[in-house]
Amino acid sequence: MSNEKVKEPFMHITKRADISRGKSWLIRIASILVALVFCAVIIVLLTGENPLSVYVTMFKGAVGTTRRIWSLLQNVAMLLCVSLAVTPAFRMKFWNIGAEGQVLIGGLATTACMILLGNKLPTPVLMIVIFVSSIIAGAIWALIPAIFKAIWNTNETLFTLMMNYIAMQIVSYFAYVWSVPKGSGAIGVINPNTQAGWFPSVLNQKYLLNIVIVAVLTVIVYIYLKYSKHGYEIAVVGESENTAKYIGINVKKVIIRTMLVSGALCGIAGVLLVSGTDHTLTKDTAAGRGFTAIIVSWLAKFNPIYMVLTSLLIVFLQKGAVEISSKFELNDSFSDIITGIIIFFIIGSEFFINYKLNFNKKGENK
Amino acid sequence: MKKFLKVMAIVLVVAMIGVFAACGNKTTDDTTTTAPAAVDAAKVKVGFIFLHDENSTYDLNFMNGAKAACDKLGVKYIIKTNIDETNDCYEAAADLADQGCNIVFADSFGHESFMIQAAKEYKDVQFCHATGTRAHTEGLDNYHNAFASIYEGRYLAGVAAGLKLNEMIEAGQFKAEDAKIGYVGAFTYAEVISGYTSFFLGARSVCPTATMEVQFTGSWYDETAEKEAATLLIGDGCKLISQHADSMGAPTACETAGIPDVSYNGSTVDQCPNTFIVSSRINWEPYFEYIIGQVAAGKAIDTDWTGTIATGSVELTAVNEKAAAEGTQAKIDEVKAAIEAGTVKVFDTSKFTVGGKAVDTYLADVDTDEAYTGDTEVIKDGAFLESNFRSAPYFDLRIDGITLLNEKY
Amino acid sequence: MANPAIELKGITKAFGHIIANENVDLTVFRGEILAILGENGSGKTTLMNMISGIYYPDEGHIFIDGKEVNISSPKDALDLKIGMIHQHFKLVDVFNATENIVLGLDEGKYDIKASAKKIQETCDRYGFEIDVNKKIYEMSVSEKQTVEIVKALYKGADILILDEPTAVLTPQETQKLFNVLRKMREDGKSIIIITHKLHEVLEISDRVSVLRKGKYIGTINTAEANESILTEMMVGEKISLDIERSEPKDTTDRLIVKGVDLYNKEGVQVLKDISFTAKSGEILGIAGISGSGQRELLESIAGLQKISGGEILYNNPKTNETENLKDKTPMQIRNLGVRLSFVPEDRLGMGLVGNMDIIDNMMLRSYRKGKSVFVERKQPKALAEKIIEDLQVVTPDAKTPVRRLSGGNVQKVLVGREIAASPTVLMAAYPVRGLDINSSYMIYNLLNEQKENGVAVIFVGEDLDVLIELCDRILVVCGGRVTGIVNGREAKKEELGLLMTKGNAKGGKSDE
Repeated sequence: MSNEKVKEPFMHITKRADISRGKSWLIRIASILVALVFCAVIIVLLTGENPLSVYVTMFKGAVGTTRRIWSLLQNVAMLLCVSLAVTPAFRMKFWNIGAEGQVLIGGLATTACMILLGNKLPTPVLMIVIFVSSIIAGAIWALIPAIFKAIWNTNETLFTLMMNYIAMQIVSYFAYVWSVPKGSGAIGVINPNTQAGWFPSVLNQKYLLNIVIVAVLTVIVYIYLKYSKHGYEIAVVGESENTAKYIGINVKKVIIRTMLVSGALCGIAGVLLVSGTDHTLTKDTAAGRGFTAIIVSWLAKFNPIYMVLTSLLIVFLQKGAVEISSKFELNDSFSDIITGIIIFFIIGSEFFINYKLNFNKKGENK
Repeated sequence: MKKFLKVMAIVLVVAMIGVFAACGNKTTDDTTTTAPAAVDAAKVKVGFIFLHDENSTYDLNFMNGAKAACDKLGVKYIIKTNIDETNDCYEAAADLADQGCNIVFADSFGHESFMIQAAKEYKDVQFCHATGTRAHTEGLDNYHNAFASIYEGRYLAGVAAGLKLNEMIEAGQFKAEDAKIGYVGAFTYAEVISGYTSFFLGARSVCPTATMEVQFTGSWYDETAEKEAATLLIGDGCKLISQHADSMGAPTACETAGIPDVSYNGSTVDQCPNTFIVSSRINWEPYFEYIIGQVAAGKAIDTDWTGTIATGSVELTAVNEKAAAEGTQAKIDEVKAAIEAGTVKVFDTSKFTVGGKAVDTYLADVDTDEAYTGDTEVIKDGAFLESNFRSAPYFDLRIDGITLLNEKY
Repeated sequence: MANPAIELKGITKAFGHIIANENVDLTVFRGEILAILGENGSGKTTLMNMISGIYYPDEGHIFIDGKEVNISSPKDALDLKIGMIHQHFKLVDVFNATENIVLGLDEGKYDIKASAKKIQETCDRYGFEIDVNKKIYEMSVSEKQTVEIVKALYKGADILILDEPTAVLTPQETQKLFNVLRKMREDGKSIIIITHKLHEVLEISDRVSVLRKGKYIGTINTAEANESILTEMMVGEKISLDIERSEPKDTTDRLIVKGVDLYNKEGVQVLKDISFTAKSGEILGIAGISGSGQRELLESIAGLQKISGGEILYNNPKTNETENLKDKTPMQIRNLGVRLSFVPEDRLGMGLVGNMDIIDNMMLRSYRKGKSVFVERKQPKALAEKIIEDLQVVTPDAKTPVRRLSGGNVQKVLVGREIAASPTVLMAAYPVRGLDINSSYMIYNLLNEQKENGVAVIFVGEDLDVLIELCDRILVVCGGRVTGIVNGREAKKEELGLLMTKGNAKGGKSDE
């Protein structure tokens, strides 16, 4: 080695032909561990806190009390619901980053029903009206970019992104129109006394119904994608539009239909957030879930069952990180840094699952 | 055994203090509610819920007050930032209660419903909420609203603005009848109306020809919209700008255009050295000290607490001599003393008209209900009694001399 | 010529399990033109990309002037004075020639006028004719190529690699290029030219190195070479094909194509007045230089392209009715009862879904069956297993994604599925491309079997020997036109070759 004249690259990268499941999970777990160690270094450097106590705080922040566990589950359910919504479109390689707006518009429909019909319809009828109208509203919001994509091949990423801002402005407007007291710009809790249009508590747990609904949706979406003809067509269109055309799939129709499904699921998420959780509407109702859902869905390779795990991971990190910033009086941005680093490592691990590093040994052969 | 005795002793002491405090309370103040048991001051723990973090001037103002009060009294506290006006607020409040906080405070108007929800669940914890309107109608012992008579501060800031206008008129920069003030507001909401009207009345008290134009942005925080609104007002011939909005939008627009600016919620003199005159703000530290003190002493917290100049809750920043008219500080001190003495009333009904007529009776919408109609007579002895029947402002008269450029918000 | 400019030793490069280059040795001297000859996919471009720093070899050594070097980026290559002119030019359209040439160069200061002067000097030295101030988008293909070459020279390249430079040039332009290359050789530069046109090799090069299927076959001096020697090196020892060919029986006109015109997305006419008839029980071959409209023709029949003129008629053997397939979608064609199977050229991009397993790929044709909203995987699974067994597909199981299979096995899966649909018309585009001998024969046999079953088989091929031995009739296309239909049993390679280049004078290139 000492006589080596030529500068060798330390390593080069080749694509793996195949990797066993066990090994790929090993890489993923290793990446989380490395991320934790890396974060520990960052924590010590920036704050001087003991990283172990930071991680303990994080853990306690996420699942430290019964309330926190329920709150965690509720948040997982909400994030999972939006993630389920974006997944059919993602499988089709239609980059719907407009879930935020679709959820908001669904939530707006729910709010409208609660405010305008809240005390006028019997509860079962009201709930049906809420679900139907919110599903339709979410679906329409998703349909608009889908039609433009199908007919004029517009860029769906930009289009759906812009639709988010429009949705936020519409919600802001109605938040003003329906504000209590008039002019304050905040709707406040809707029907606080009659609780019309609120999800009932099940087994004394107010979030249980949300969680159950999302659990059922997860199974349905899984079956839809894996075993239905629609799901099959989505997969084909997503993998290769040419193949889809070749076997006679009407690609435009599939795009539009799938986005309707996506939007409808977002509409349901809107119901769960407004009727089932907040009982009010602000432009922060979706709370960025429309974007976080992209990571959830992607990390889970668009598999709804894995998405339970990835949404749990992300919510766990978020909740834990918020507790860190509260307990150690750090800015929220610090906890975002920690969350970001961990997610970065997890995403990065996919690279090592798909590619192999070859360390050069050429010199040794001479 | 020793330990047991010690615990018993503490329990007894605490219980007795509670009883005494409760008794004393009833005689002193009939608007307050039944008092909770007293807590050892060192054991008081306060939970704070803030809508944003320290990057928002609005929340920073609360945060500084909170930390100062807690540190001064040696009280433990937990701060939760970036809590949306959604169920998250309820979860945060409940979580703080779970963590043993005796007091939970939230700073944003939209938090109110969720604070009430938590208050109903945690009867032993005091829930305090700034800017809210519903404590006096909700009938909860442990839910309280707070605000400050910021209209007084704005009135004083208005005086400074009026002096500046006078100076510019004397310097021949424009005619007296062109003394138009521009105001950037958020919504056509009582808190805002009360704010710009008191500011205007302050200005007109020294510059009688002053008029005002108000532009609304439809947001409590939107830097671009606020900047645009200020620029529009300047283009419209406004000679001085003030705002009720939280961003640097209006102040920077003024600095660029060289138009004097009366700011809000803190000094902007660093960014706007040539145009910043003065700023009014609410200092929340007195309130936090008050609620901690009450809980520690086992006394009840006022259902509606309104901080005033006298309590140190309403403050004016230092006057920027470079931009302000001469003698501004002296005049402010003079008027401030008069307000404290009660000789000057901000909403003196003889000083303004609505639709050309003086107002001698008005039913304001004090109670938050779905009716949105006036329910309380608020004019008494020739003045509109702002923040008297509840802490949050309810002055929403459209007085003559002020033009609203849009009313969509 | 004792001092080699570049020496490659034992270079190997694999992409996944596809080995593009295997243990390749190559030597280029100063002041010579070396031609690298090989068929499509023989690994010429990959090899050159490793010299120019785009790929990094998995194994092997590269020596420049006798010193081992490590080229891990195009910048490294440039530092070693190696320049490559790619088939697809890498120029910024809205910049002019000078701007493109100096782009990315760190010359201390940016002085476009001085650079333009320097560039002009370089051009004059070798006889390039370019306008240094002309914008790239205003230039012809040949001008763009010139800019690329000047760019390489300007950056100081001593070793110049040209990847199929003549493919886009007219004969006159080619001559001009060759003159320049000769001047550069006199100047002591080393030139490597990739091509598969034999006569050009013989005309321009000093030596020829031949690659076949990623392997280095050998190098000979051009003076000692002739076309037949080179062909043999390129394609290997002559294989006696010996494909069985039965006499067509009971032929009837199945598919009648009449005067079909087609324009591509750019509005260039790619099919011009194409007419032919495909008969049941025979194999109709389609020969032509690649890109002469074969793909578009098959896609038009399959309903994937919208033809602008002519008609495509199908005689339904069941109903004896004639259907016009023009303006019909693949779905509509299927619904008419037309049993059309199509093995497209792009197997994993069109015929199959690479990420899906064999079972799901079987379903592509059949998933719609039944009224259920759910797909039925039992029959596809049975079919997959049958095909795996019958066609000896090498795969761990039916649940393996097809992208993991080797090229031959992918093709067996695809052809197997298309045949399983019991078609009346079977179209296959380059079905044996990239396949080994055994797999190829299996495909030929399958096609023959289909023919004997009365299917009208349309076979697009590139190997003329195969076309001549397999097909009953051969249709030759050139530049989107039919230049002749010959009987397979009497056809001669020369005759086909002539027909294949007949329309070339007119050219079909959209670039011109």
